[in-house]
Amino acid sequence: MADLTLAATSALGGYRTEIGGVRLAERTGLAIVSIAVPRDGEAALAEALQAGFGADLPRPGRSSLSRDGATRLLGMAADQLFAVFDHEGPDAARGVGAALGTAAYASDQSDVWVALRLEGAAVRRALERICPLDLHADAFAEGQVARTVIEHLGAIVLRDGPHALTLFSARSSARAFLHALETSLRNVA
Amino acid sequence: MTDALPLPVALRRDARPESARGLQAHRLAGGLVDRSRTLSFRFDGRQFTGHFGDTLASALLANGVRLVGRSFKYHRPRGIFTAGSEEPNALVELRTGAYREPNTRATVAELFDGLEALSQNHRGSLGFDLMAANDLLSPFLTAGFYYKTFKWPKAFWEKLYEPVIRASAGLGRLSGEPDPDTYDKGFLHCDVLVIGAGPAGLAAALAAGRAGARVILADEDFRLGGRLNAETLTVAGQPGALWAEQAAAELASMPNVRLMPRTTVLGGFDHGIWGALERMTDHRADAEGKPRQVLWRIYARRAILGAGAIERPIAFGNNDRPGVMLAGAVRTYANRWGVAPGRRIAVFTNNDDGWRTAADLAGHGVEIAAVIDTRAGQPCLALPGVPVFMGEAVADTHGRKALARITLASGRRIEADCLAVSGGWNPNVHLTCHQRGRPEWREDIAAFVPPRDLPNGLTVAGAANGALSLAAALAEGRGAAEAATEGLGFTPAKAPQPRAEDEPVAISAFWHVGASRARAWIDLQNDVTVKDIALAQREGFRAVEHLKRYTTLGMATDQGKTANVLGLAIMAELTGRTIPQTGTTVFRPPYTPVAIGAFAGRARGKDFRPVRLTPSHAWAEERRAVFVETGAWLRAQWFPREGETHWRESVDREVRMTRASVGVCDVTTLGKIDIQGRDAGEFLNRVYANAFGKLAVGRTRYGLMLREDGIAMDDGTTARLGERHYLMTTTTANAVAVFRHLEFCRQCLWPGLDVHLISVTDGWAQYAVAGPNSRDLLREIVDPEHDISNEAFPFMACGEVTVCGGTRARLFRISFSGELAYELAVPARYGDALIRALMRAGAPFDVVPYGTEALGVMRVEKGHAAGNELNGQTTARDLGLGAMVSRKKDCIGKTLSERPALNRDDGLRLMGFRPVDRSLGLVAGSHFVGFGREAVTANDEGWMSSVAFSPTLGHSIGLGFIRRGEARRGETVRAVDLLRGTDMAVEIVSPHFVDPEGDRLRG
Amino acid sequence: MIIDHPHLGPRDAAEFVYLGDARLIDRPDPDAPDAARHFHDYLYLRDNPAGPHRELWYHEQGDRSWLVLTRDTLTHEITRVELARDVALAQGRGR
Repeated sequence: MADLTLAATSALGGYRTEIGGVRLAERTGLAIVSIAVPRDGEAALAEALQAGFGADLPRPGRSSLSRDGATRLLGMAADQLFAVFDHEGPDAARGVGAALGTAAYASDQSDVWVALRLEGAAVRRALERICPLDLHADAFAEGQVARTVIEHLGAIVLRDGPHALTLFSARSSARAFLHALETSLRNVA
Repeated sequence: MTDALPLPVALRRDARPESARGLQAHRLAGGLVDRSRTLSFRFDGRQFTGHFGDTLASALLANGVRLVGRSFKYHRPRGIFTAGSEEPNALVELRTGAYREPNTRATVAELFDGLEALSQNHRGSLGFDLMAANDLLSPFLTAGFYYKTFKWPKAFWEKLYEPVIRASAGLGRLSGEPDPDTYDKGFLHCDVLVIGAGPAGLAAALAAGRAGARVILADEDFRLGGRLNAETLTVAGQPGALWAEQAAAELASMPNVRLMPRTTVLGGFDHGIWGALERMTDHRADAEGKPRQVLWRIYARRAILGAGAIERPIAFGNNDRPGVMLAGAVRTYANRWGVAPGRRIAVFTNNDDGWRTAADLAGHGVEIAAVIDTRAGQPCLALPGVPVFMGEAVADTHGRKALARITLASGRRIEADCLAVSGGWNPNVHLTCHQRGRPEWREDIAAFVPPRDLPNGLTVAGAANGALSLAAALAEGRGAAEAATEGLGFTPAKAPQPRAEDEPVAISAFWHVGASRARAWIDLQNDVTVKDIALAQREGFRAVEHLKRYTTLGMATDQGKTANVLGLAIMAELTGRTIPQTGTTVFRPPYTPVAIGAFAGRARGKDFRPVRLTPSHAWAEERRAVFVETGAWLRAQWFPREGETHWRESVDREVRMTRASVGVCDVTTLGKIDIQGRDAGEFLNRVYANAFGKLAVGRTRYGLMLREDGIAMDDGTTARLGERHYLMTTTTANAVAVFRHLEFCRQCLWPGLDVHLISVTDGWAQYAVAGPNSRDLLREIVDPEHDISNEAFPFMACGEVTVCGGTRARLFRISFSGELAYELAVPARYGDALIRALMRAGAPFDVVPYGTEALGVMRVEKGHAAGNELNGQTTARDLGLGAMVSRKKDCIGKTLSERPALNRDDGLRLMGFRPVDRSLGLVAGSHFVGFGREAVTANDEGWMSSVAFSPTLGHSIGLGFIRRGEARRGETVRAVDLLRGTDMAVEIVSPHFVDPEGDRLRG
Repeated sequence: MIIDHPHLGPRDAAEFVYLGDARLIDRPDPDAPDAARHFHDYLYLRDNPAGPHRELWYHEQGDRSWLVLTRDTLTHEITRVELARDVALAQGRGR
């Protein structure tokens, strides 16, 4: 049999660029695992998260970091979190599922999303053109996360640095999303 | 001529236009233009110069150009009337070629080097307009002439009236080419939005900014300051313009303040949302690739409207002649731009403010021909050497293309080349009207002011609020900001209130000079005169909204900013009612005209909406696939091979090769919903019409979802991956709607169930592998430890497998084509590699990639319903799936699906159809009619929903709904399509054309 | 419009999808003797008040929560925003 080993390709092939002093790069090798909170199981999950990750259960719109700093938990909804961490394989949900046992329902979201990191002084000014959220540091501090719509595309916005954001949007429309970001960066450059 | 005042020497000596006698001959000393920077521009092809800081209007006036356009209906010569965005007359076409923008107000067009402008609305030259003959026809062109004139004969409408009206309608010309500029949109957030950077706005922004609030200060002008730049009044002992400059500098230094000059707040919307247009590059010759304008949506917790006031004219004979201007504008040109709009200026006023024009112009050394005040009594200012006429009025004006002389009501004539008119000031209440606000009349200032009941979070300050003096504007602006910031929890900073004048603003309402015999204009842009109002009154169109529509008062691009109140007041006079009794005038967004491009933003051409691509897209492009848009997705429709010239060749081949051996189709676009929870099975049992309670782990089931009204909503397969873990697929088109519906069921109907949903549509690349050799192909792909034999992995099995040496995958044995078939899913990152591997491993089987067309053909051959059948009108019973609706359990749609009307014996049934003459092609959308019956609705028996040419059978086949279909197999009916003119005999057959027993897919 | 989400704070209404009368939560008992009539009324008979109205909105471009808004249809003033799930539970809906 011919060697048919499958090579992984990221949504944007690891694209990176710099426009108007803002560095824009696809974050590859990132695992995203959704964690659903079982009905009436919030306390048990909080305990399991402490035990498994040393992390607090974040409220919707907030995030928390694991003790080792490797995993960020994003509060997506009242009964849903995303765990985000560096991981190359397509099997991240198994690990999270194993760590949390019956305290959570885990589902792999790694391949659902493209992740783009934006860093630079003009990030907020560029995103003003497409993002309805108030991204002023007073209103959207480090660690805050929000799901919204950007140029007709659903997007998750996470502030993970003073002038840095990680944006998640659907993998299938990654090119359209990138185009929206690059246009915004160019328009304010 | 005996009582005419003597003609000034300067005017007598040289009759040539002043623009011909020297550059910027009308410049005065002073003003806020940079005389060290001279800009050249062209108007109607002639070269002129102006200075940095000029508008096109101020530069034209500086060059003595007074005739700038023609009026809409009568093609009367028109000049510059105002100094702001309320301008009704001086509309020009700016820029050239595809960049040309018609109906641009010269009064707000910022001058730049190389600007090109053309006058508009004339045939022939601006000076000699052939259409000016309309003016002679004016007795016939009064209000309502459209409605009266173009009624008959009927045949004239298309041939004569409409072409003539179309040719005369409109003002400027569109370029007719795509707009080469780009536009953008955006979102801004602030604690306090200050609208208008005049004295009230600057005071408000300073107070809010100093208190630490996030402030946006927006002004339509390119220079902040508003009337401070136009007046000689002082603030804190210094010229107002200088104070404004210092205030702007302080605001610019605050990190919490965003200054937005060149930004017009266009509209106020619910809950503190404001629309604004920022002109980014309109003041430059070249946009350098940047968006020309940005349409902002501003979210403001509080807003302070300091939009100032707009002066209104007085109606008198021939008051539209170039040279007749608003008094405030005349002194704005003198004070701000150092331009005298005339050599010898007369002032006509009913209020104190008009006198300031005379005083300021006199201060600049301009000759004042006379001050005419409608009020009897003593002059409110001493103007040495200026003839003053109290209790007088201007009755008529004279001059060929511009003003030369005026006649007073008494018959006295006065030589003047500019008449400055002030009928008082209307507070700029526009933005307070956008959320149902009704302005209120204030008798003491004879003007409408904002209603007391304002939208939450909005306050009005300064002249916009009827506080017409400078000191009052500064105090109100500051007060409004302090109240707003305190309400938001900020502590106002203590700073002294700057001292300023409380200049006199007394007025005695005066609207229309009754002594005028000639036509007196109210709405200059739409050519509405006092006569038109009188006609409307006589004919009964007295309510404000009727008056507006009958006369077109206020319906031009300026939306009647200088006209509406005057028209209303004259209607009040004519009907003997007060102004409040007559009505009020309200305004709707946008405040000033907005280019369509700005509303479109980036959403043009390919950027109109985002595109979704499957992981195999690049591979399909390499294969020269033809793509089709399905929602936002691009899907391969077919894969043409060398030599194939017609799509049918490709599609027929793809079907034949799949049915003969094996084909692969990208089905990634199907919606995929990961469902987990203790109650997931019970949840599925309730949202699907058929039972899901007993679906075993490792098995897949077809599911039909109903709406609560019993109509079919969507279908798909759901696989049970684990004890508490399911994977649902939906149709591509309904993925979002189904997810929303499931969340509704989960949260609103059964909040106690432990069930959780998350979309994984994008996470998996999924391929249908179909055909008798599909299993053999998959044996090359699926790792050998997974047994996929018919025994171990039968029809409707599913499971986690690994492929190509250890890559995780999910395999489902489901079939849409009717063949032995599988769907194989891998994490999206492997989608590109997997399709290539399938093609390589499939080469020995002559594997064929097939697109959505072949997919569609095979599903019609198999008799599977799809979007055309699940069209929002059909029930499970209609689809032939009635038996699937479980009788044993409740589900969404069950109760109402049992309604008698949905279960009639003569109800529709999904059937197959084939043409009696096999050489004919069926037509989708045809309706079924019996032989010998007329093709009308009453005889309609159903419709053909899907058709295809079946390469397997060698003729056209169709699916459709027909009454009592099940009992009519073998019967022949007509399929009639009146739109395409087809009428053919078709036979009713089973919808399952290929392998009706299902042997292939179970094989 | 702006909807003040109980968990996420003020969000533009553009992130939401409107459904309609919050009475859609009150799905009738399918086993009741006159279930067909109740379902008919539930699905087809809605009040259309000019004034305060309780209605369902879905935060599609957000946390996917269904909300019950009390909104004045004349002024658009929103006086209350609740999670539909809490409303449903309070009304006795469960499993």
